[in-house]
Amino acid sequence: MIGTIKVAGMAQDPLQTTYDVVVVGSGATGGWAAKQCAEAGLKVALLEAGRAVTPKEFTEHMPAYKLKYRDHSPEIVRTRPVQKQCYACMEYNYEWFVNDLENPYSTPPGKPFTWQRLRILGGRSLVWGRQSYRMSDNDFKAASRDGYGDDWPISYADLSPYYDIVEKYVGITGALEGNEMLPDGQFLPPMKMSCGEVLLRERVKAKFGHTVTIGRAAVLTQNHNGRLQCHYCGPCERGCSTFSYFSSPFTTVKDAIASGNCTLFTNAVVSHVDMGTEPNKARGVTYVDRLTRQVKEVRGKAVILCAQALESTRILLNSSTREYPNGLANSSGALGHYLMDHVVGGGASGRLPNFNPLPNANEPARPNGIYVPRFRNTPSSKTQSKFIRGYGYQGGAGPEFNFSAEGYGASLKKAVKEGWYEIGLGAFGESLARWDNHIEIDKDLKDAWGIPALHINMTHGDNEAALMQDAGATGAEMLEAAGAKDIRVHANVEMPGMAIHELGTARMGNDPKKSVLNAFNQAHDVNNLFVMDGASFVSSACQNPTLTMMAVTVRACDHLKDRFRKNEI
Amino acid sequence: MKRREMLRASVLAGAVAALRPSLAAAQSTAQQPSELTPAQSGVDASKEFEGPGWKPLFLDEHQNETLIVLSDLMIPATDTPGAKEAFVNRYIDLVLAAETRETQQAFLNSLGYLDGESIRRFKAAFLYLSREDQDLLLHALAYPRSGDGWAGNTGAVADPGHAHFEALKDRIMTAYYSSQIGEKELGWDGAFAHGPYQGCEHPEGEHK
Repeated sequence: MIGTIKVAGMAQDPLQTTYDVVVVGSGATGGWAAKQCAEAGLKVALLEAGRAVTPKEFTEHMPAYKLKYRDHSPEIVRTRPVQKQCYACMEYNYEWFVNDLENPYSTPPGKPFTWQRLRILGGRSLVWGRQSYRMSDNDFKAASRDGYGDDWPISYADLSPYYDIVEKYVGITGALEGNEMLPDGQFLPPMKMSCGEVLLRERVKAKFGHTVTIGRAAVLTQNHNGRLQCHYCGPCERGCSTFSYFSSPFTTVKDAIASGNCTLFTNAVVSHVDMGTEPNKARGVTYVDRLTRQVKEVRGKAVILCAQALESTRILLNSSTREYPNGLANSSGALGHYLMDHVVGGGASGRLPNFNPLPNANEPARPNGIYVPRFRNTPSSKTQSKFIRGYGYQGGAGPEFNFSAEGYGASLKKAVKEGWYEIGLGAFGESLARWDNHIEIDKDLKDAWGIPALHINMTHGDNEAALMQDAGATGAEMLEAAGAKDIRVHANVEMPGMAIHELGTARMGNDPKKSVLNAFNQAHDVNNLFVMDGASFVSSACQNPTLTMMAVTVRACDHLKDRFRKNEI
Repeated sequence: MKRREMLRASVLAGAVAALRPSLAAAQSTAQQPSELTPAQSGVDASKEFEGPGWKPLFLDEHQNETLIVLSDLMIPATDTPGAKEAFVNRYIDLVLAAETRETQQAFLNSLGYLDGESIRRFKAAFLYLSREDQDLLLHALAYPRSGDGWAGNTGAVADPGHAHFEALKDRIMTAYYSSQIGEKELGWDGAFAHGPYQGCEHPEGEHK
């Protein structure tokens, strides 16, 4: 049964065992780390800070009128004032998101950062946007091209076979485009475009030479790996009774446990990595039981942090020793620095006047939009003077109900149903890696388990603002080319964190003096310690990062398995 | 930056401290709350306001009656049921009861403005006007005043009447179109899935 998660039975006390690998976090990357290691025969302890999840709590087919407050619940306002800034945190599912009262963090005055996260088996893979895009050497080697920042220690050729593995397993719907900035992948059949989207694709190609493609998403368009194809009900973020979008509990984590080599610890809030008597060797991790508040240790020959970019680094910062007074594996001093999150807030929207505006409440709800791959500062375009790097657009077009119709009475009722045909593009821009965007431990602030909390210090800079300016003006030109009217231009820079694409703070690199991890996500300073999540990113590119995070994890696990085979761990 | 400043900026730092005792209490009972939302536990709250014994939680009787009349004018029954049948007032009352004092007061100010204008122009509260006078009053508030006509101004005119109208309308629209009656009004057949998305099938140049 696909939805059943069985916790592996262990003959001995799970806490007395020394595992081969301790994986912290069960989301998109942690699930892969557990699966890859357990299926290779390594004994894995998988630690998740939250509880287990079952398909019984999926609510994707419940209409809003069955909610007491119809998504205006005061409970969300009270306990999730930060989390509710996420579009996916709703009266349906807010318990999946962290309780902000128990999970505080601080920011400097005037520098807000919104940190949206889940503590439950599967983490944010339960509610993610599912958009899945490869990065290219234009991203991995961007510093060599424009002189800003650092190259990744890996290239597209290193990662390409791992993108293949992940895509084939996850199931990514998409269309082949042969675009220089957005490598094609192993795709399931693409979803269809609406009429307005096809028109936009035709006009943008004809006028600007840019590509508009259907979104590439981790949603099944045909039955795949024992999971059913999408039934187009719409709200994936409330769960999926057919498991048609990718989430780790019902895929990678399930496989890991089915191997017989993985023990799942839920409610294990990891506070720090323990160092052993051997120099530069981790012994395991310490966690606080979320419910009983008991402190426990799990031992492993290797430790893999997949707790989410900021959480993994928080664990390292909270693992200081005499040798590493400023955080474990931090001889470089780079730990906590180069925090990134894609900049959002630029784009344009309008109406297509000659299109059928009548919305249909019974139309299949496509859980995907359109995508415009980056077209600025590419090998085949001229270099921009006002900014480096670029952005991609996500968007869509279709009829909508006119809830902002004027007036009142019977005419208002009628106008609402007559609708309009909306078209829009919203940009995700590259967030430059900057030393001053950083996290540190706030010595005066602890979470509900007594674990020191983070002080998050991040702003978007001039380059990000210039990207959003350009995204607004250019988006408007594209919509105009498609014949749109009433065009609204957006050129805002939203608060960092809003893209929910936190990256960096434990970057990879070849130079141990300037980076935390090597090219295989292994800490330069601590031989058996790995960080296999978004913390390892050197630059953010502008593509949604989860697919790359998963490919990086699988590649790093290959390296780890090899070290085990050679008895080097 | 000084530690003190950091603390001042800290997100919910004080709230965590305040939470400590209740966490300890929860621990001592050794039984955590369910950790599921009511929706995830399968609770269907859609029939909650429909009983005959319903009483407002927040609104007084006059406010409630005014809201019923206003909502019925805003979204009347036509060949389909309107706001009154959808118990729009009851939902708004429930949400308001859980809102902040500021938000509650803003709503009452808007409702009060309606009565104020009504008394100024017709010497009676909105509830007691004839249907024609109610319509006259609403019509005057429903459309934004542009600067050129009304007061001889050329710039934008502060238009509190229209702002209050829009605030009330927004509440009523949200309540109506999120109700079961409202979903039906939009044409929803009640099924949660309608097969694969078909997309555009027109030849190039003929999209519509």
